[in-house]
Amino acid sequence: MASAANSLRLCLRTSRQASSCLRQPQVRVPLRRALSTTPVRWDNAATEEKDGVEESDYEFNRPYSNPGEFLQDFLRKEGISKADRAQATRMLETWKQVPPETQQEFDKLTRDISQEIAPLRRPVKPRRNSFWNEEEKDPDLITDEVGEDDFEEDDILSMGHGKLEEHREFREYARIAVWEMPLLSKLAKPFEPPTADQPLRFRYTTYMGEFHPADRKVVVEFCPKDLKDLTEAQQLKLKKLAGARYNPEKDLIKMSCERFEHQAQNKRYLGDLVQKMIATAKDPTDMFEDVPLDTRHHTFKAKPKFPVEWRMTEERKKELENLRRQALLLDQAKQKEGTLISGVERVQAALAAPPEPAAREPVMVRAGARQGARQGRAPMRR
Amino acid sequence: MATPNCLRCLLVRPSVAARLPAARQMITAAAPFSTTANSRAAGGPQQGKGKKAPKPPVKGKQMNLSAFKKKRDVDKSKPPLPGERKAYRKRILLSNNNALPVPGLQDVNAESMLQTSNSGKVLSLPDAVVDQLRAVEAFKPTQCWGVFRKPSMLVRAETVELMQKMQKAADSQQALRLVVTGDRITGKSMLLLQAMTHAYLNDWVVINVPEAQELTTACTEYAPIPNNPTQYMQQNYVLKMIQAIRKANEKLFSRLTTVHQHPDLPQHVPVSSPLLQLANSAKEADGAWAVFHALWQELTTKGYGRPPILFALDGVAHIMKMSDYRSPAFEQIHSFDLALVRLFADCLGGNVQLPNGGAVLASTSRNNSPRTPSLELALLQREAEQNKTEVPKKDPFFRGYDERVDAVLKSVQVLRLDRVSKAEARAVMEYWAASGVLRATVDEATVSEKWTLGGNGVLGEMERAALLTMRL
Repeated sequence: MASAANSLRLCLRTSRQASSCLRQPQVRVPLRRALSTTPVRWDNAATEEKDGVEESDYEFNRPYSNPGEFLQDFLRKEGISKADRAQATRMLETWKQVPPETQQEFDKLTRDISQEIAPLRRPVKPRRNSFWNEEEKDPDLITDEVGEDDFEEDDILSMGHGKLEEHREFREYARIAVWEMPLLSKLAKPFEPPTADQPLRFRYTTYMGEFHPADRKVVVEFCPKDLKDLTEAQQLKLKKLAGARYNPEKDLIKMSCERFEHQAQNKRYLGDLVQKMIATAKDPTDMFEDVPLDTRHHTFKAKPKFPVEWRMTEERKKELENLRRQALLLDQAKQKEGTLISGVERVQAALAAPPEPAAREPVMVRAGARQGARQGRAPMRR
Repeated sequence: MATPNCLRCLLVRPSVAARLPAARQMITAAAPFSTTANSRAAGGPQQGKGKKAPKPPVKGKQMNLSAFKKKRDVDKSKPPLPGERKAYRKRILLSNNNALPVPGLQDVNAESMLQTSNSGKVLSLPDAVVDQLRAVEAFKPTQCWGVFRKPSMLVRAETVELMQKMQKAADSQQALRLVVTGDRITGKSMLLLQAMTHAYLNDWVVINVPEAQELTTACTEYAPIPNNPTQYMQQNYVLKMIQAIRKANEKLFSRLTTVHQHPDLPQHVPVSSPLLQLANSAKEADGAWAVFHALWQELTTKGYGRPPILFALDGVAHIMKMSDYRSPAFEQIHSFDLALVRLFADCLGGNVQLPNGGAVLASTSRNNSPRTPSLELALLQREAEQNKTEVPKKDPFFRGYDERVDAVLKSVQVLRLDRVSKAEARAVMEYWAASGVLRATVDEATVSEKWTLGGNGVLGEMERAALLTMRL
């Protein structure tokens, strides 16, 4: 969709007659978003986000149909410098001198463009009662499926044409790959690792010019230790400010933004945010000393490693050899002494030995006659 | 009221008399008086003639439902009485006549566990001490006493270390406050038993809580102490405990005499009567806590020949959390609000001094222990402090810590019971082989094998690998 809008815009630009007012170099309105595929929405949201930022002075709060309207609106503002005011007044006078038909033409052009673009901006809703979205156009087909069954015997079928076209396309890209791509290496720059004063690492995503909802996303990563102008305490405060975006295992803060439409906007936002965080971390009014660093969002994973002391080095081999020799010597010495104990031999010796004189059976004796019986009592076993 | 009914019985209605069966009248005629069943009496003359009894008339094919029924083996034997199974499970056998007596096995004496030279030797328990230990339930059913002829134990390096600490504390009239911890079946309860043995041999008084969970899992009765309703006494348990202490320290108690008045006892015990009399005055659960309190007061009096005290408790994790008891308002009672547990905790934390010296030993359990984050952390911290390594910190965002437990464990010592060395393993295996239980030649190869199989010298695992296996 974006590419279609893009091509439309390019077509419009080429076919448009340059109006006389634009040819005048004085009228340089900083039109940043004169044409966009997104609806205009900067009256509240944008101003709230960047309150106090100077850039908002140069951005539009509402759509203007011609430069005169913008200049009038601009002059109505308070707090613009005298030089600006003088220049704007001069420009407005120039605009007023422009002939009215040209002015109307300008208005018409703006209206036309917005009318042309309106269907592109409109969200495509799937039809509710359609079956498999049959009405939807299939841009991947190589024919347009219109009147393709009518064969007038003077040409090959449109399918064949489509196939040939496809083949031509392949060959074109192959040609590019062989002849033009190698020339790109001339433009290659050697990789320069980031220096110490570039602590922020940004990550972008590209889908090679195709539209994708994630292509605006920008991710920034940085290590609080790399910010050299922060003290230890300030670094700790920065980590606490980052909250769940801080990875204690890698000591990295990682933040992402896809709030704005363009990558550059998102990157700018992240850059500003990092600046703001650093400024807050440096602020000595509250250093968050009573708040411990929270790492509950992170699961520390212990990665078992082969213990160093288990490594079979030459010294370890010698040590083991020595231990074994000593063990053998100990066994031999015990065998010579006769103190090596064997369970089986002990049992066999006990079985072969003459039985112990049987202990006398305990006999029930009257209470009065206990004295005599006590000597002959069998040894009590627990 | 009964008369009309009785009168009615006399009236035999003619209709009933007429309906009496005719067959019965005939049988009566054949055998006017017989004790046998009618059928027998009727078939008698036919059998006498040698003829078979007539078969019952065939009724045609019938379904025999009983063929599909399961035959039930009705067990006619008596089921075991209540408590009998548990008694069998918990029985403690301390001797086995089939095992061979080990020649040259020495008994432990008062000093033998203090000598470093005895480290790595197997010594046996004297009979008198065995009785005392049995009285205070120092033996556990999971220990392998029943395999050998005579209860014996390995004196380990840690044993010597602990006994020396205990003796030093007793000599300086201080209390050794120590928690024994370690992996599963490394011999923590055994170390407590050795400490008790040492205590008995040196005429100490031993108070032992064999299983701390008995105090806190709401399995024994409890009641608020009359003059201190925020604390709870456990009368039945305390009564049992007093009886155990009395039985184990009978000689000592008959020698010592009371020095204090005890007005609130169930029986009057005058001053300078023997402690045995005081202990004997606990006859019923009602006054048991008062007697225990008085006994504790007497034992912790400075001087008067009072012996050092060993207060031991096994399974310490159970007392380091909320107990399962409930207050009258149905709120959970903290274990430290149970008076006996409180006494132990105070002794362990150093709030209650032992003026005659002694030791307060607690042992963790790895089999049956609830999660107590405070205890786990405190043990790690104390250990790190002892080893002068980095002390682990409290997790600031974790809520499960218990401040009262932290306060108790702030200054205890920790003894981590580790694996046995190969020399110790060899000594104990030689004892096994000499008893005829281990049927192998104890050389370095065998020792190494069992030592490795037993998780690098975990004694319990070595026992499992060598003794409790069927592969002999």
